[in-house]
Amino acid sequence: MNPLEARTDALAWRSAVSILLFIALWEVAARVHVAPAILLPPFSIVAEQLWRSILDGTLAADLSLSLARAICGLVLATAGGVILGLLMARNRMVDWLVDPLVALGFPAPKIAFIPIFILWFGIESLSKILLVMFACIFPVIIGTYSAARAVSRQFIWSALSLGSSRSSVFLHVILPACYPRIFTTFRIAVPVGLITTFTAEMVAGGGGMGATLIYSQRFFESPTVFAYIVVMLAIGLMFDAAMRRFQSRFLRWAES
Amino acid sequence: MKKPDRLLFSAKRGVVRIVPLILFGLAWHVVCSAGLVNRDFLPAPAAVAAALADLFKGGEIARNLTITLFRATVGLVLGAICGIWIGVMMARSRRFREYVTPIVGGTYSLPKSALIPLFALWFGIGNITSIAAVFLACLLPMIVNTYHGVVTTPKVLVWSAEALGTGERELWPRIFIRNALPDIFTGLRIALGFSFVLAISAEMIASTNGIGKLIFMYGENGTYDYMFAAIVCIVIVAFFADRVLILLTRRLLVWHESAVAELDARRP
Repeated sequence: MNPLEARTDALAWRSAVSILLFIALWEVAARVHVAPAILLPPFSIVAEQLWRSILDGTLAADLSLSLARAICGLVLATAGGVILGLLMARNRMVDWLVDPLVALGFPAPKIAFIPIFILWFGIESLSKILLVMFACIFPVIIGTYSAARAVSRQFIWSALSLGSSRSSVFLHVILPACYPRIFTTFRIAVPVGLITTFTAEMVAGGGGMGATLIYSQRFFESPTVFAYIVVMLAIGLMFDAAMRRFQSRFLRWAES
Repeated sequence: MKKPDRLLFSAKRGVVRIVPLILFGLAWHVVCSAGLVNRDFLPAPAAVAAALADLFKGGEIARNLTITLFRATVGLVLGAICGIWIGVMMARSRRFREYVTPIVGGTYSLPKSALIPLFALWFGIGNITSIAAVFLACLLPMIVNTYHGVVTTPKVLVWSAEALGTGERELWPRIFIRNALPDIFTGLRIALGFSFVLAISAEMIASTNGIGKLIFMYGENGTYDYMFAAIVCIVIVAFFADRVLILLTRRLLVWHESAVAELDARRP
């Protein structure tokens, strides 16, 4: 066995120990009543509640609703952000007009706009999707813009001198050169999208993971609160792992 | 370039950049006064400005903004201190790192606002819940960035310092931490953004005061001009907080060119 493998083995082993230790501590702390059960239900009861939510389908319904909202918002943000970013990089007029708005919008806490989105687009899915889009579009615009500006002039000139049209330079030279950077910003946007979806659901209701979470908290159904947080954690981990895998498979050529 | 020249240049640049915002305001005004949209759905800029002035005069903004900024700052500072400490510890001790990595990795991808109901359950409604949420959201980027900064210290620097007689204890503040500073500031900028988002979310969900609650309350009451005014206010505050951090980074890290370039407004 080579030393590198041995080290990852040790890492995996210690990670497992660490997680098991955490769960064991949680269970023991709850069982000896460090805190009342309503504040800290034992892990076993949370797991049981999780299993029940899976069986009766409430979890599946909430999860699919939330994920659909998050994904729709993210797709819109990516599409809109890439188009705007490319336009800004290639057209000075657009750059001049949009840049101050982006500079102002990027650091703004987008969650503060929830009441406006509720007012304009109602309390159902549309307002949440658009809010997710609004929250995620700024990093995508900025990432695409700086990637498109960094494309080597020589590539563009070469393509032009070989007879490519402007639009085909756009599609076949500039856009592909931006893929790695767009993906990096997408990785930033995904957690933002999830946070925004869940928070919007908590504040505005209208179903989904966040809404159920906040209702369970209001009625002091602590096992459900914990079970839903565990599911959200799993979702976050899964998205992250999926994006890592995608990056190493399709964007290998880009040095990161 | 001489100083007056530079001042004139940046003033000119500022004017050029503010024109589109004025145009945006004008378009908003025209849309409203032409009656293209329902006034209730989109209050005119003049109404929003009047509401803003009223909020300032009544001290409404000052009071709630102080509360929100207090929560965000306390959470951010605590998160930054603990995050830097944990990041350094992870870089120092392999065993610590191997035990902590899965927990950091798990919480890193957890949407932190999910914990607000839990904190509300534990700490009730108010300061502690908000601060705890901000703290946790700021902690993770600080850990990850500090760790990354320390680990990527060039060996040459360490060897040179050792060759010149720097001891193991001195190596940390003088080489490792200093080398990690650009990364720490990158983490700080991410954490600053999170601190506002989490403070406002926590206030909307579980609080009786703060700017988040104020915005939400005006939204529920239907006094939309005041709601827009409060939102405009927090957007401006967040913008300037971000700017101040960038200026501070530029000043403190003059010696580090790429850090300054990386923190340019164009790059996240």
